[in-house]
Amino acid sequence: MEKVEVRAEQTKPNYLNNGYSVWSWLFTKDHKRIAIMYLISISVIFLIGGIYAAGIRLELLTPQSDLFETGTYNKVFTHHGIIMVFLFLIPAIPAVLGNFLIPIMIGARDLAFPRINLLSLYIYWLGSAIILWALLQGGVDTGWTFYTPYSTTFSNTYVVATGLGIFINGFSSILTGLNFIVTIHTMRAPGMTWFRLPLFVWAHYATSLVMILGTPVVAITILLVALERIARIGIFDPTIGGDPILFQHLFWFYSHPAVYIMILPSMGVISELISNFSRKRIFGYEFIAFSSIAIAVFGFLVWGHHMFVSGQSIYAGLVFSILTMIVAVPSAIKVFNWTATLYKGQVSYDTPMLYALGFIGLFLIGGLTGLFLGAMGMNVHLTDTYFVVAHFHYVMVGGTVLGYLGGLHYWWPKMTGKLYSEFWGKISAMLVFIGFNLTFFPQFILGYMGMPRRYAAYPPELQVLNIFSTAGASVLGVGLLLPVIYLVHSLVWGKKAPDNPWLLPGLEWRTSSPPPTENFEQTPVVTWEAYDFSDENGLDVEKVKKELATV
Amino acid sequence: MADTHKTHHVKGLQHQFDDMQQQQESATIGMWMFLVQEIMFFGGLFTAYLVYRSRYPMAFAAGSNHLDAFWGGLNTLVLIVSSLTMALTVYYAQKSNRAMQVVMILLTMFFGLVFLGVKVIEYSDKYNHGLIPVTGWNKKTSKQVVALPFETKAEAKETHDSHKEKPYVNPNGDFQWNYGGEDLVMLAKEKGWLTEAEKIGYFDPITKEFDPKRFENKVRIFYWLYFAMTGLHALHMVVGIIIMTWLLWKAWQGSFSAEYYSPVEISGLYWHFVDIVWIFLFPLLYLLGRHFLH
Repeated sequence: MEKVEVRAEQTKPNYLNNGYSVWSWLFTKDHKRIAIMYLISISVIFLIGGIYAAGIRLELLTPQSDLFETGTYNKVFTHHGIIMVFLFLIPAIPAVLGNFLIPIMIGARDLAFPRINLLSLYIYWLGSAIILWALLQGGVDTGWTFYTPYSTTFSNTYVVATGLGIFINGFSSILTGLNFIVTIHTMRAPGMTWFRLPLFVWAHYATSLVMILGTPVVAITILLVALERIARIGIFDPTIGGDPILFQHLFWFYSHPAVYIMILPSMGVISELISNFSRKRIFGYEFIAFSSIAIAVFGFLVWGHHMFVSGQSIYAGLVFSILTMIVAVPSAIKVFNWTATLYKGQVSYDTPMLYALGFIGLFLIGGLTGLFLGAMGMNVHLTDTYFVVAHFHYVMVGGTVLGYLGGLHYWWPKMTGKLYSEFWGKISAMLVFIGFNLTFFPQFILGYMGMPRRYAAYPPELQVLNIFSTAGASVLGVGLLLPVIYLVHSLVWGKKAPDNPWLLPGLEWRTSSPPPTENFEQTPVVTWEAYDFSDENGLDVEKVKKELATV
Repeated sequence: MADTHKTHHVKGLQHQFDDMQQQQESATIGMWMFLVQEIMFFGGLFTAYLVYRSRYPMAFAAGSNHLDAFWGGLNTLVLIVSSLTMALTVYYAQKSNRAMQVVMILLTMFFGLVFLGVKVIEYSDKYNHGLIPVTGWNKKTSKQVVALPFETKAEAKETHDSHKEKPYVNPNGDFQWNYGGEDLVMLAKEKGWLTEAEKIGYFDPITKEFDPKRFENKVRIFYWLYFAMTGLHALHMVVGIIIMTWLLWKAWQGSFSAEYYSPVEISGLYWHFVDIVWIFLFPLLYLLGRHFLH
């Protein structure tokens, strides 16, 4: 008995103390270590993208084009878009949180293909390195959408190199999606049926479908653009019979579903947070699970709403407009179910929950303004204005980034075995929420008043709202920098995290913090439903409470 | 912890799986998912093909007419036979028959190489005739007649004469189209078959006359798609042969048996997929609209 006590005092073997050399990280096949390497890379990328965003807001502080020349400004917003979309938003939640948690949540030792998982990280590094190299060489000025024929015939910038980087990066995302689908199909622990899966896993399943079906199309499209630039065939050049609209179809066939690659995992995180911090089984589990799949499916049928004014037939536009309205239904199902979960729940306002509540509000605004834009008549007025910019930032930042940060805080004790400062966590969550709204809400008004996107200068009467926006961006910046400080601080000085800091039933809370390399000492057998807060969920509550008391 | 992994020492079983069945299921689903993404990858090109074909059917018919259906048909046959030998490889792996596995893999590789060899013949034909749609990538010559690798100069001249083709002169290696098409377009115009895009696309906007240069641009799009699609397919064949080489090595070592053959099976899936892509490419590129005039 004494011997056991002594062992418990020492640090248990976990994935972090299982080897300290550089090689033990670079050649690891452990999904948790790969996720940590993704986390570090993605944070660096996010910082670079954020610096470009700061550049845009600083330029727009004044009506004249004074900080940058207009050509440079084109490059700045292009770089911001490319870095944020392709290198941050798409991999952020799947590659970091999904990678770390999916095997643990379903009770597996690892993903189905650990070596392919490591390969996808190397592909991500290679693709990102090529893109960053191209940006340092002089960059691109086509916008992140690479519209032809500007990108194929006229732009005199590093389109091919950047395209190559995006092409390569696409395969990182395809391989991650492939790995997730196979893992969820074949690696579930005994008793972990499909309808006992956490909704986070369902969301990633839907995301992976989009990754596998959509990404190859943009890969081939970008390849066509690159070949077009090298060989000058004219396949997108209208003067010799090519069709630039075909490019837009192919591009948006991926890039609209890509929006769901960004938002679906985030919705999965929010489902976890809302249910667990309300200590109540989520309302309408099956509806949320299938609404993820529905979003993935419908998401493939709405790409034409990006092209209402670019020469697509008006009848096609009508159909796309209606389908766009339909895709709002599953999204709304989620929001209603989340709020219904809160009702009569034991809601606690920990840092992750603040992010989750912020998400609901911001995603609601982002989603509803999406309906404005999906209505064809309205769209003609709002196309390419700041209204569009505000809309997709409400979804991408208010949705994806808040979900990512919420999830990161929620699982931080599990991932690192350390507790962060709850005080600073709450402060930063509120700063992000306030700063975000201050930045982007004025842009709705600016857009409605007719301020176009992608211009370095604007009429002086729009300056007040732009100053609000830039001021908000500073607050947002502080709110986003704070977590870097207190999370890194917690790694060294943070308190040791208990295995189950919030007394939750999920499988990830039943292994140690941080988990051992094999995730579980014994393969778990699942006998309880998802989000089961009753006494029959197999959780040793006395033991958990005892451990919590020691912290 | 060690006692939970009793299955660790089964041959070929990786640490994350509990048993061989789970591993094999995962590998198979994984390969199917990979093939799904391959379909979407080729799908982009097929979409481009369908869009341009429905827009310029006459130019595509003219371009298609100059592809050699004999070589294309032969390659189709070769690939179908290679699919048979591939399927037999899986069969013999399941029967734990090492010798026949090795034979069948060698045959599959042989047919794969024959396919690529034929492709080289076809591509060099296009090179010699100025049909590669990239300036400077074609044979540069100021001589009048180019003989193909398999014909004499006299034969070549005769072919040119009998088809009423202009002789091949191409000092800059441009794409050029010397094989007519005006008769085709005029016939289609007479019968009212021209699409809206063709009514604008082939004719001079001022004189309303047939403009060979404009027609050539559309044929060029056909050849561009031909090279993009068959090139991507050939690249997949090369990858397939690399996989086969690895498989041959493993089969030679006797790695595969009735208990463990999933690498053979999933390599087979890949090989069949590449075949099937060709089964679609062949009619679309070589056969459709081939006999508009005769």
